[in-house]
Amino acid sequence: MIELILMPLAAFVIGLAMVLMMRRIGARLQRRVGPPLLQPLWDIIKLHGKETQTSHGLIHEFGIVMAIGGFVAAVTLMPLPGMNGLAEQGGLIALVYMMMIPSLGLALGVGQCANPNGSIGISRALTAMLAYDIPMVIVIFGVAFFYGSTSLVQIIDAQQAGGFATWGIAEMPLLALAGLFAMQAMLGKQPFEIYVAPAEIATGPMVEMGGKFLGGLFIMQCFQLYAAGALYTLLFLGGGENWLTFLIKVFAVVAIPMSIAFLFPRYRTEDVVRLVWKWPAMIGLLGIAFLMY
Amino acid sequence: MTSLDHLLLVSALTLALMLLFGRTRIAGRLAVALYGVQFLLLMQTGALLGEPVASSLTVSVLDLPMHWRYDALSWFFAMITIGAGFFCAWYAAGVWQERYREQGHSPRLFHVALAANVLTMLILLGSGDLLSLFIGWELVSWASFLLMAVGGGPAGRAALRYLVYAFSGGMAILAGLMLIYTQTGSLEYTRVLTLFGELSDARVWTLLLLIGGGFAVKMGLLPFHLWQAAAYAETPGPGSSFLGAISARMGLYALILLLVAMVGIGRLTAMEVPFTFLSARDLIAWIAALTVIIPTYIALQQHDARYLLAWHGIGQGGYMLLGLMVGNAVGSAGGLFHVFTYGITQAALLMAVFAVVYRTGTADLNKLGGLVARMPLTFLVLLFGIISLAGLPPMAGFVSKWMVYRSLVAEGMPLLFVAAVVGTLGTILSVYKLIHNIFLGQLRIEHEQVREAPLSMLLPMLGLSTLIFLVGLMPGPALSWVAAVQTSLGLPPVPYTLGGIEDPRGGLDMLWLVGILMAGFGVGALIFFGLGGKSKRVHQLDNYAGGHFLTADVRYQYSDNFYAGLMHLIGPWYRGAFLWLEKALTATVAFISAVTNGLYRYAQPALFVLATAVALLALTTA
Repeated sequence: MIELILMPLAAFVIGLAMVLMMRRIGARLQRRVGPPLLQPLWDIIKLHGKETQTSHGLIHEFGIVMAIGGFVAAVTLMPLPGMNGLAEQGGLIALVYMMMIPSLGLALGVGQCANPNGSIGISRALTAMLAYDIPMVIVIFGVAFFYGSTSLVQIIDAQQAGGFATWGIAEMPLLALAGLFAMQAMLGKQPFEIYVAPAEIATGPMVEMGGKFLGGLFIMQCFQLYAAGALYTLLFLGGGENWLTFLIKVFAVVAIPMSIAFLFPRYRTEDVVRLVWKWPAMIGLLGIAFLMY
Repeated sequence: MTSLDHLLLVSALTLALMLLFGRTRIAGRLAVALYGVQFLLLMQTGALLGEPVASSLTVSVLDLPMHWRYDALSWFFAMITIGAGFFCAWYAAGVWQERYREQGHSPRLFHVALAANVLTMLILLGSGDLLSLFIGWELVSWASFLLMAVGGGPAGRAALRYLVYAFSGGMAILAGLMLIYTQTGSLEYTRVLTLFGELSDARVWTLLLLIGGGFAVKMGLLPFHLWQAAAYAETPGPGSSFLGAISARMGLYALILLLVAMVGIGRLTAMEVPFTFLSARDLIAWIAALTVIIPTYIALQQHDARYLLAWHGIGQGGYMLLGLMVGNAVGSAGGLFHVFTYGITQAALLMAVFAVVYRTGTADLNKLGGLVARMPLTFLVLLFGIISLAGLPPMAGFVSKWMVYRSLVAEGMPLLFVAAVVGTLGTILSVYKLIHNIFLGQLRIEHEQVREAPLSMLLPMLGLSTLIFLVGLMPGPALSWVAAVQTSLGLPPVPYTLGGIEDPRGGLDMLWLVGILMAGFGVGALIFFGLGGKSKRVHQLDNYAGGHFLTADVRYQYSDNFYAGLMHLIGPWYRGAFLWLEKALTATVAFISAVTNGLYRYAQPALFVLATAVALLALTTA
């Protein structure tokens, strides 16, 4: 029971550190110093403390609640070193669908803002989801098929049984590559950030979000970064034998898309779909073909 | 008199009473009560867990005995049928019926059509041999036609199109039955079962194409799906809900009898499709997967909420057949369970859409918006429904779809798995468009005064929503019915628990998942409402417009061509290939009939008679 409280808490703290890492990487690439250690936390506190808090209705508020709540639930399905949480009660497939709840919540909240720019942003974000989820489920299928289980606990046990040689990345390098590609799009980082597009649709879904609404989205982003890193670590890098190796792995995983992101402009929506359906999906299917034959 | 006789008699009584009293104000409430009685009588039959219950009625036609009985499969489908009838009659019983009368329609005709549908479906589900199955099938076709046609206008045209399809399907089935009869001299299930064991692959293929193709028409399986969306969408409100919830599933019921009970999954797996590396099972599974994908993406393009949902209805049927074709315990249970979860979901969704139509007079997604402030409870019903239709936790639809996915992973079918998920993603996109364009965004000026849906319509909607949530939270009881159906079909029963599925290689426990999700929402609410300043509600037009002023007389609602970016890419893929096929078939039939007509009437009657005689001789001697 205590695990169910500790797991989201750990996810949030790690996610905060990941936001800091993301900003530091961006700063280094642009020859700046970057923000101090506690800046992400201060940002959340500042946003919640704002005097002007503009609400467009109950669904606007509930959307934020759903966005945070969905991730709080989802991270308890991902085993941590020494903690399994609810991983036995709902496996990989349930996890993937649980991670769509926050997107749906955000989409509902933005929808009620009655701002056309927000709606355009959501339509683009859902299109992007359609794009990256296809290689994602190919990867998920490959891993579940290879280990003969949808239980993350069993998948991790199988990977840890023989050291690096039995890690997912060593057994299924093509799927690992496709997964990395899909993750870049899943995190909505450049070149796949058409749906926020500040210059043309005024940052899309965020257009009506201020104060604690934006603060809620900030918290959601922490969870999102953590969830992506942890999922990849669990599927391909053998999960965490202990906290130290787990943290090294998740930060390393998230650092890769961050470093790539700042080098790119962005693709148009249809180009995102075309690109993601072509390369990672094909690499993933090829990976599955190698597994099965 | 057996318990099945009681059920069928009360169902017939419902039809008679609707004929007599359908004009009166109490007709709706009377119908609800009678469907309730039917439901109780069905519960009393004990056909689910015990032995099959036979009806004492037997009729002989040309020395062919016909009889009726209920086993677990019949019980399962009958339960959904009567339940759908109950909720839809409830929805119609109050102000809807009065409005319908004021618009110049006849509530009596509507109630009669609904009662006739329930009765004929119950007769079909009870069929004990192929002849009674065929007669039940034709009865259901005519009853559905009646319900589809009561609206008149576009509904009448759609119903006529359905009738052409149903006729062709019925004739194909009849031809198949004649083939069986010439082989065995009987249409009893037991004899037919042994016959299928002895037949060569080529003959089984012929029967599959004739009979299976005929059944597939009603289910809207590709490529026989073109009639369904318009026919279901144009039917008056509760009738549309009823048809959407269960009517097409009669095709699935008959397909289960044919594919699972008579031919058997094992035989289907062993039968090769000539010149390919596919088995018959793979072929049917792929037809099912394409039935998921293509109609779902056509739904994505619809501008009318009713049509959008009706197209999804065709797509969801694909999941049911796909799960059954996987054939293992979890997969076939997922397919059967989806009949139930989808039924309650689709009924609730269509009711919510028709409640909006009742208040605003339109289902055009480009002419609505922002109604959540005026119709919050209807919004809630639609929200529960779309989460379930899209197959996301914590609603009922998630459990059945999870079972289909899980079985595809377990059996190692990657492409079918991806196809199933592609269908789900398309569903998520299009149901968001549905809820956004009706309830979110800007409220139109002409809808400022709209009120919440009337209570008599709201109560059945809320009842169904509660059911959707409860079945998602505790799928166990419903899964116990599914397990009984599987046992009666000779399939391995699903290892279920109160909260979901037990599986040592990755199971599902919805009690925990829903619990943690609710706890997560609690934490989210605590962070959002507990911390931070108090938020202030503003007018919907008080928002950031990039330097523009939004005025009250010009409203901006992003709704037309909602997924512009996606359509830019996949838009050209939408080609009317199936429409082309339909037109080609129509043209061929018209051509043949014109030629025949010409020969017979004008050209050479003698030649025609001679040609017919030669053809008949060739057929009989061959």
